[in-house]
Amino acid sequence: MTTPESTSGNALFEHRSEAGFEVDATGQFRRVSPGLAALLRQSAEQVTDTTWWEHLAAADREPARRHLEQALAGQPATFEAGRLSWQLLPQLTADGRIGGAYGFARVAEPSASVTQALMERERHLSVIFDSIADVTFVLNVEGDGRYRFLFANKAFQATTGLPMEQVVGSYVQDIIPEPSLSLVLTKYGQAITTGQRVVWEEVSHYPTGEVTGQVSVTPVFDEAGHCGQLVGIVHDLTELKKGEEELRVSNERFQYALKATTDALYDWNVAHDTLYWGEGFESLFGHALKHNPAPFSHWSESVHPADYVRTVQGLRRVAYETTQTFWQEEYRFHRADGSWAHVFDRGYILRDEQGRPVRMIGAMQDITARKKLEEKQHLLAERLLKQNSDLQQCAYIISHNLRAPLANALGFTDLLNRIDKDSQVFTDSLKNLHSSLLRLDAVLTDVNTILAIHDQQDVDDAEQVAVAAVWEQVVEHCAPELRAAGAEVVSHVPAALRIVGNRAFFHSIFDNLLANSLKYRAAERPLRVEVEASTEDSGTIIRFRDNGSGFDQARAGDDVFQLYRRFHADRPGRGMGLFLVKAHTEAMNGQVSVRSEVNQGTEFILYFRRHGHENLPD
Amino acid sequence: MGMKTYLIDDDDLGIYLTEQLLRAEGFSNAICTFQSAREALETLVKEKENAAVPEVVFLDLNMPMMNGWQFLDALAPYEQELLGRCHIYILTSSLALSDLEKSREYDLVAGLIHKPIDSEEIRAIHSQLQDEH
Repeated sequence: MTTPESTSGNALFEHRSEAGFEVDATGQFRRVSPGLAALLRQSAEQVTDTTWWEHLAAADREPARRHLEQALAGQPATFEAGRLSWQLLPQLTADGRIGGAYGFARVAEPSASVTQALMERERHLSVIFDSIADVTFVLNVEGDGRYRFLFANKAFQATTGLPMEQVVGSYVQDIIPEPSLSLVLTKYGQAITTGQRVVWEEVSHYPTGEVTGQVSVTPVFDEAGHCGQLVGIVHDLTELKKGEEELRVSNERFQYALKATTDALYDWNVAHDTLYWGEGFESLFGHALKHNPAPFSHWSESVHPADYVRTVQGLRRVAYETTQTFWQEEYRFHRADGSWAHVFDRGYILRDEQGRPVRMIGAMQDITARKKLEEKQHLLAERLLKQNSDLQQCAYIISHNLRAPLANALGFTDLLNRIDKDSQVFTDSLKNLHSSLLRLDAVLTDVNTILAIHDQQDVDDAEQVAVAAVWEQVVEHCAPELRAAGAEVVSHVPAALRIVGNRAFFHSIFDNLLANSLKYRAAERPLRVEVEASTEDSGTIIRFRDNGSGFDQARAGDDVFQLYRRFHADRPGRGMGLFLVKAHTEAMNGQVSVRSEVNQGTEFILYFRRHGHENLPD
Repeated sequence: MGMKTYLIDDDDLGIYLTEQLLRAEGFSNAICTFQSAREALETLVKEKENAAVPEVVFLDLNMPMMNGWQFLDALAPYEQELLGRCHIYILTSSLALSDLEKSREYDLVAGLIHKPIDSEEIRAIHSQLQDEH
């Protein structure tokens, strides 16, 4: 391309915004200003290599040639073609010939009606653009990888914080800083090269804050297939991203909460009647889930039969027959290892507009340990209450029985003062005073014995007592009395039998039972005592039978075991023996009962629970 | 001094003491002692036929087989016959107020005495019964 000396000088081209140009006599562009290139939506280089005609519609080319010839003839010409108005001036060469034409183009002033319609359309478009929340802009493609802002909407200003006046007319490189600039320039080039819309995501730092945007750039082509403009749209993803991030954090928190909780969470789909289980279910109860969600029956069949109606039917009733949104129940649940877990279950029922249940989200909490503790405390409280009432009754009975020998002692001292010291009555009374004091002492010894039982009750000195050996010892100890009575003693207690308890207590129990049998044996027949023991899963039963005189059970009731309660006037006794049998048995968490028939005999039944000493339910 | 007296108490020491105290006060020479309330009841009912009921009965409460209250309950059918002729004094080592209240329900009971009975109580009963004659 040659650039001859020109009269137009460079002034025309220095003013970038002016759409200046030079053509030779054939209509070939010699020079074009960036302003013209912008008007033609091409780069200056691209335009320079073309003819004027190429930029005109076919119909405008002939009139254009005439106007050029007019200019070459020395007459300035003005010519309107399409949207542009071209002004042509003769260009003189250095030797004074007309060598070509120069001039400038501008956007043609439309006629009034067209102007109004255009303005109307412009107004609509600007309303639309300005009300679009997405940043929208139009770039003029000016070659050399330069892009000028032709347009930007209000959202652009609002997002970037850059004033509109500063943006429009400026080059992209003056507005967008690095490193974004390199990226966008690459993308713009890509859009122009491929002719396709290019979309990418980028994070930009604007005065208004950090913006995550989805940017799309669409190339706009003219009839000649030339890309002169790019339309860019930035869709603000900041809120979406923030929402996504919040959701992610919330989900993460939920996942950790799931891990942290020891509860079995579930989601009951009422329509399908299935339960979707959280991971707690398997770890809590040991059930391996073949399917998840699992059928409702998979859960309901593991509910303890005794709790089934209350729990399973109760849940169905609450779900289907009420509009309640909460359901809760405590029940026993079968673990995979066969044991029972105490469970606290609470669910929230989601209902549709008609109030029908749709889903229930709930959690099963294993409260076995707490339940056991509660039961233990309950048992402990019961035991203490009973002990307290026993002690109170004991104190009452003892006070009565202390009073009797004491009253006698007082009476004898009174009598001794008033009678002749040489009389027989004086001697007898002195002896009786002594006897009264001995009885007083005996009662106090009893008090000591009773207190000792209660003392030892809480001492953890339980041992495995070989019951048969203790029984043998007692029989040996009573051998002289037994021989004298001609008694027969039979034992069916297995030598290997062990009961957890206190050896001294068992000794006392057997000793007192045997003494009782000896004391109340029937006069008409020799005494026969039989002891047997049988062990079951739940515990051990010891039966002690004699063929003695027995007593009227209807009359005596439970009083036989009461302290100082006696049922035989004809034989001496203090009413301590059977009281001790009961007290010692109960101190080892056993139970004692009695069956008797007058003149037939008496049977005492002692029952010791297997885990009785732990004071816990089985 | 022939006031016919019953002493009912299962405690042998108690019986001996009360009998000696009564004798020391010259209360009566005709004292019958019973260690069983049932036995005393049978005797009393039998003697009632012969119009020989005891004028005074000292009755212990705490006894095996038949206690003092049961003895009183067993006498209920004969209450009208015995009223005014047979005076029953409860003689107990118990200090319980409930016993005193319960004793008031029985018309045959003339009073409640805490063991041991002392000479003043004996004299008071004696003069009370003398006055009635």
